[in-house]
Amino acid sequence: MDYVGSRFPEFGPPGPPGRELTSAKIVVAGGFGVGKSTFIRSIVENDLLTMNALPPERAGAVTELVRIQFGRVWLDPGLALHLFVAPQWQDPRAGWGDVVRGAVGAVVLFDVMRPADSVDAMRYFEDHRIPYVLALNNVHSSVRSDVKAIIRGMGISPDVPVVNCDPRVRLSVRETLISLTEHAKLDRWRRRAGPDETTPLAPVC
Amino acid sequence: MSSSPDAHRRRKRAETPAEQTFADLMNGFSLNSGRKRSPAPEQVPAREATPVVRQEDAGVFEPSVQEAHDASIVRAYAWTGGRTRSNIDLEIETLVSANDQSRQSAGILQAEHQRVVELCHSPRSVAEVAALMRLPLGVVKVLLGDMAERGLVDVHQTASAGGDTPDLGLMERVLSGLRRL
Repeated sequence: MDYVGSRFPEFGPPGPPGRELTSAKIVVAGGFGVGKSTFIRSIVENDLLTMNALPPERAGAVTELVRIQFGRVWLDPGLALHLFVAPQWQDPRAGWGDVVRGAVGAVVLFDVMRPADSVDAMRYFEDHRIPYVLALNNVHSSVRSDVKAIIRGMGISPDVPVVNCDPRVRLSVRETLISLTEHAKLDRWRRRAGPDETTPLAPVC
Repeated sequence: MSSSPDAHRRRKRAETPAEQTFADLMNGFSLNSGRKRSPAPEQVPAREATPVVRQEDAGVFEPSVQEAHDASIVRAYAWTGGRTRSNIDLEIETLVSANDQSRQSAGILQAEHQRVVELCHSPRSVAEVAALMRLPLGVVKVLLGDMAERGLVDVHQTASAGGDTPDLGLMERVLSGLRRL
């Protein structure tokens, strides 16, 4: 009945009064039909919710409601992780800014048959220095290294992890999210200014 | 005895400023495009009194946008007095929860505030409130901002470091949470 996750009741909110609650979000981007909703559904357990973003300054266009799907999972008793499907248009008026601002990072799902669909999102995250991982949608292992080589040849930053992911498989989704968060953490470290900062151990690639 | 609800209603009317803004907003909608614009002030209280949120099963979300839904969005902007900005910074993932004050105020709140309090007995994000109440994000932000200013909901800030990037502590927490899943 309730949207609050039932799979992990021991993590269920609310805590006692005064317990610190906070939240984080991850954006899931990629072309149409590449598996963004499936990806999120695999990890949040409850069905996705849909939020309408109606840009006030464009209120004249009721039919232009932007629908943004998302899911939520409690990672610990005080931390709610939200996963948002990135709107198709990178338009701040279409809810894009709301979804991207303050995100831990983004997962760009990549369909090898339709690579162009994901390129806009990749370009945006590169330009805005938002950490992201490229998740190849279930590429067969026999051609995986070739595909990765082609993608590297497209000129994305060498730091960006390229992983294989089956959006239907919970463990695969979880691994992808872990790769993203590790990458984002490292990225954050690198950008920290100050002479007394030390770099954590680099991940083994 | 009966003065109390009257006073409450008067207060609500008094809280509907900025008819100009609201009128602008109303005129922006295409629903009445065939009609001549009418001065909005007389309409405002009547529309505000209309119950906006139908108590439908909150678990079902139809992918289609119906006309009735559009109309409810128009009315929803009437709740906010036509304002489209909130004074309180709310991200879509920001959690809000009901507090003791809002629980004690049960029964004397405006209907839409009451609905939010009921939803937020467990903490909910702004996005969840928007989805479950079937209201546009902008409206929900203003609504929740108002309630937060009046102390009716607690806002649990996200851990983004002063601006756009979450801090390392939060990332570490996300990471260990994901590993436990």
